[in-house]
Amino acid sequence: MKLAGAPHSLQGRLLALVLGMVLAVWLTTATLTWFDVRGELDELLDGHLAQAAALLVVQQARAFDDEHDGVDAPVLHRYAPKVAFQVFHEGRLVMRSANAPAEPMLAPGAPMKKGFASVRIDGSAWRVFTALGAERDIRVYVGEQEASRASILWAILRSTLGPMLIALPLLGLGVWWAVLRGVAPLRRLGRALGERQPDVLTPVELGDTPAEMAPMLDALNGLFGRIGTLLESERRFTADAAHELRTPIAAIRAQAQVALAETDDGLRRHALHNTLAGCDRATHLVEQLLTLSRLEASAAPARQLVDLGLLARRVVAEVAPRAVAKHQEIELDAAPGCALGGDEALLAVLVRNLVDNAVRYSPPSARIKVRVARQATGAVELVVEDSGPGLAEADLQRLGERFFRVPGSAESGSGLGWSIVRRIAAAHRLELHAQASAELGGLAVRVLGQPGTASV
Amino acid sequence: MRILLAEDDPLLGDGLRAGLRQLGFQVDWVRDGDAAERELRSEPYAAAVLDLGLPRKDGLDVLAAVRRAGVSLPVLVLTARDAVPDRIRGLDTGADDYVVKPVDLDELAARLRALVRRAHGQPQECLSAQDVVLDPAARTVLQGGQPVTLSTREFDLLHVLMLNAGRVLSREQLEQQLYSWGREVESNAVEVHVHHLRRKLGAALIQTVRGVGYMLARAAAA
Repeated sequence: MKLAGAPHSLQGRLLALVLGMVLAVWLTTATLTWFDVRGELDELLDGHLAQAAALLVVQQARAFDDEHDGVDAPVLHRYAPKVAFQVFHEGRLVMRSANAPAEPMLAPGAPMKKGFASVRIDGSAWRVFTALGAERDIRVYVGEQEASRASILWAILRSTLGPMLIALPLLGLGVWWAVLRGVAPLRRLGRALGERQPDVLTPVELGDTPAEMAPMLDALNGLFGRIGTLLESERRFTADAAHELRTPIAAIRAQAQVALAETDDGLRRHALHNTLAGCDRATHLVEQLLTLSRLEASAAPARQLVDLGLLARRVVAEVAPRAVAKHQEIELDAAPGCALGGDEALLAVLVRNLVDNAVRYSPPSARIKVRVARQATGAVELVVEDSGPGLAEADLQRLGERFFRVPGSAESGSGLGWSIVRRIAAAHRLELHAQASAELGGLAVRVLGQPGTASV
Repeated sequence: MRILLAEDDPLLGDGLRAGLRQLGFQVDWVRDGDAAERELRSEPYAAAVLDLGLPRKDGLDVLAAVRRAGVSLPVLVLTARDAVPDRIRGLDTGADDYVVKPVDLDELAARLRALVRRAHGQPQECLSAQDVVLDPAARTVLQGGQPVTLSTREFDLLHVLMLNAGRVLSREQLEQQLYSWGREVESNAVEVHVHHLRRKLGAALIQTVRGVGYMLARAAAA
């Protein structure tokens, strides 16, 4: 129930709801009791009225010899003044109680219900019963003030409902205390969370968690865990970046200093070229690190339909100038209609890293072949193979370790290419195989995926 | 001074070699751990600059092996690993200095000179013997307070002789200290330079010990 200005605390809510419910039930009970008791009382007293009237009729019928003026019956009961009777014989008042009027309480033609009627006499409400004698035209009226009924009713209700009324504030107190105790675990949780340092991400432990709070606590701890992992990977990224950038930056610095101090023009230009090459290398490393960091942070990649053949053509075209500069022979054999579902940008990064590696780690005049085709099983396959030195078995195992670069390689790579390739392949549910190339003698990398949009 | 540079990164290695050469050092550059160990054990270097992340054999392993074999030359470790445990490990394995990349070339040269000085028991930067004062950093020579002009080779030769003042060095030893690989050494190059030095600084400065080699005395012979 929402009242304007209702308290916003859980405790207040519970208190208001419980007490409100109790109050409503009590009021309903009281009302029902009232009606019920009144009904019963009416019947009871009506019954008494009828009985009294009948008694009078009988009495009058038997001892009706002498003609008296109205006799006043004695007052016999504390309720007696509230009750009155009249006896008419052949239209003439024969006997009446002290408090009964002289005229008939009820006009002879007045409407009645089973002999009962409610009338007003001298400003008071009366309940009147009319009894007719079988012989001698005897008419008896017995009446009762409604007020007397009301006072009896109140007396009954007082004794029934009175204790409950006193109990109500006690109940309120009890409910308040119970709610206080009941809500205690929530307050404990609030306190525990409030006392924590802002950067603490260990799970929250509450000694005695109620069943309703357990899911919330689990979700909270899960959130802490996820945030912790995210922060950890960011920290690691920053540390890795700082570490790995040291050597490229040192190279730039050294070359620049050499250029500054160099008097020979040719050597100076050489040093300055090297400085630029160092900057390019550092840029490449930063981009790889950012890609990797983004891959680690994100969940599922976007879903597009990517034509792998077209993608490979674009990537090979971009990488080809470098291969040509190294006098390498690079070729692409792409079958049409080989589509994968996934993020186009990420898949481009994957293909570029593989082709880039082939160019980088193969010697000059090497051959590099890129192939996109559909397998007999319907899977889409990308193969990048080269006639370079290939990899030893042990090194094949270590591929994909962050910053692992094949020892003995003179080329400058970031060592992140494989980590990135593996991550993208995993996110797109692609199989990745690296083995010796039977055809060219170097390394062959195969990427397999289910076609269409079913990939992700 | 002839030093060994062990660095696998091509750009950095090239830069360091060119830069140190500009500052007067003779530099031999190797690119992997096996070559580094081999050269350190066989050739007489005044000092070595050692990168830790070398292919084939890690720099620390090279250092440990070389120290075990009794090679005592000063080694300066130049690396990207900057964490304190790494520094401690490097120094305890036998490095004489531990420098984190990137490094200023002049600073690197100064540190190398300091290491070489210490190795020769030479607390001051400037070497002095008799009336000659040699400043390795500025590459100047003063005799009796007056500056003397020497060629690069003459300076290097005088430097080596003064570092080893009071000791006789053979012609082969002098050649090895002065010339990096790939330089053609004429058979009497050392004699020619000694002759030039005697002409410029006085005949009494460098003693010839027949059949053995040359020596520069700390104090003038009485």
